[in-house]
Amino acid sequence: MNFSWMFGSSMEARHLLYAYVAVWAIQGGYAGWVLYQWLRAGRQSRTVSHTDNH
Amino acid sequence: MQRSRIFGPVGAVWFLLTLAAIVYATRLGLLLAPTEATMGNVARILYYHVPHSMLSLVFPYINFAASLFYLYWRRRDPLKALTADAVAIAGAEVTVVYGSICLLTGMLWGRVAWGIWWTWDARLTSMLLLWLLYVSYMMLRKLSATGQTHTLAAVLSVFAAIDVPIVYMSIRWWRTQHPAPVFGGGEDSGLDASMWPAFAWNIVAWALWGVLLLAMRYALERRRQEREQEAALQAIEASLEMAQ
Amino acid sequence: MSYLGHVMVHLRKDLRLEWRSRDAINGMLFFALLVVVVFSLAFDPTAAMSRQIAGGILWVALLFASIIALNQAWTREQRNRVLETQRMAPAPPSALFLGKAIANLIFVAIVEAILAPLFAVFYNLHIIGQGWLLVAVMPLGTWALVCNGTFFAALGLRTRNRELLLPLILFPISIPALLGMMQATTAILSGEFDPGPWIRLLIGYNVAFTAACLLLFETVLNAE
Repeated sequence: MNFSWMFGSSMEARHLLYAYVAVWAIQGGYAGWVLYQWLRAGRQSRTVSHTDNH
Repeated sequence: MQRSRIFGPVGAVWFLLTLAAIVYATRLGLLLAPTEATMGNVARILYYHVPHSMLSLVFPYINFAASLFYLYWRRRDPLKALTADAVAIAGAEVTVVYGSICLLTGMLWGRVAWGIWWTWDARLTSMLLLWLLYVSYMMLRKLSATGQTHTLAAVLSVFAAIDVPIVYMSIRWWRTQHPAPVFGGGEDSGLDASMWPAFAWNIVAWALWGVLLLAMRYALERRRQEREQEAALQAIEASLEMAQ
Repeated sequence: MSYLGHVMVHLRKDLRLEWRSRDAINGMLFFALLVVVVFSLAFDPTAAMSRQIAGGILWVALLFASIIALNQAWTREQRNRVLETQRMAPAPPSALFLGKAIANLIFVAIVEAILAPLFAVFYNLHIIGQGWLLVAVMPLGTWALVCNGTFFAALGLRTRNRELLLPLILFPISIPALLGMMQATTAILSGEFDPGPWIRLLIGYNVAFTAACLLLFETVLNAE
């Protein structure tokens, strides 16, 4: 994705792109992590077995 | 879990609205807002940077309020206290996420606009210290013994909340006495009217997203708490069976 | 017994225990000395420059040194289940905290008293500003470190990696106070700017956090 045609310098374009992508990565990454942990926690509580000493 | 029946549809609607707002705001900021006169197009980083900075100052208060509620309910109503604790950890983590983004985007912008990755000016230093405070909160959570974590973390949260205004004042005095280069003195001063929609929409969008993150992290923490309670109950049941 | 009476009991106990072995003070002193030497190798300052940085180096050395003392401040309460007994005793828990914090203050003050002349020697310091203000700054700064340090050391009491946790949570909270003590000391040494605002900051910081520590210590003691 080449934005540099809009800008005077490609350093500008690169840093702008890095910034936006970094934000999406961090926000999406955190949300994804929370979702993943939530699903894992759900699965585990359903499969926890009751100890049966009889 | 009855609550998930409400969380489900409301959550889905909120998520879609938030996503739409983010896309719209990003489009405004990236493509439609006019190019900034002095800084050029790289100033578009600010459409993400400034909202995240503003929001990262809000979530610490959520953590603080929740910690106070936890301390109040701890002996009076333990179940409510657990809810408060879940909100507290959610608030702290979202603070760290938003703070990290603020620092990172600030550095990327500063590198292009000012040629330096960092400067110890009042705003950046205060933000870094805020970030450090809440990372230390999360370290305490991770390292403390189970059973104590909630209370100790709540106490640390109170200390952090007392510290935040002191940090802000002291760093400002420091920089008044020993001036140093300031990143973006003109960041939000002299903002052209045509740029307001992009800013406003980004603030709204990322605030919505922040609430979504809070809710998700809260739900995760509640699930973990329930798992712990189940495990504890089973341990008790097992010991009762053996006693018979 | 009055509240102050309780504090004195705890204070005397800590002083007496420490006097028997003098572990903490010796350790602190030597560690602070080592830190000063390492910094001198790092910066090798001229006389003019040393006035600018000596304040910072002094407080960094004291900060690291006091972590050593603070880390084992509560261990003697943990042996023989003393802490449990303290919890059951009717004496106010904050008196225990205050006694211990004052004891730590005295230990660090002893280290400072020995370290300060050494500093003057190593860095060829002579004070340009109002030297008598140091008499105010040193105790204020030390109390800021020791008060929060004793409290956070208690926070980490039954934690795994206890020694690791203390600096991690103490340093961020202490940064405004550290800034205050370093700036005030540099102001006094170099005479270049006014230490007044920084001393006021230290006073405000100490009032706020001493109150917080006293009020919340009981919560921490009964954290389960």
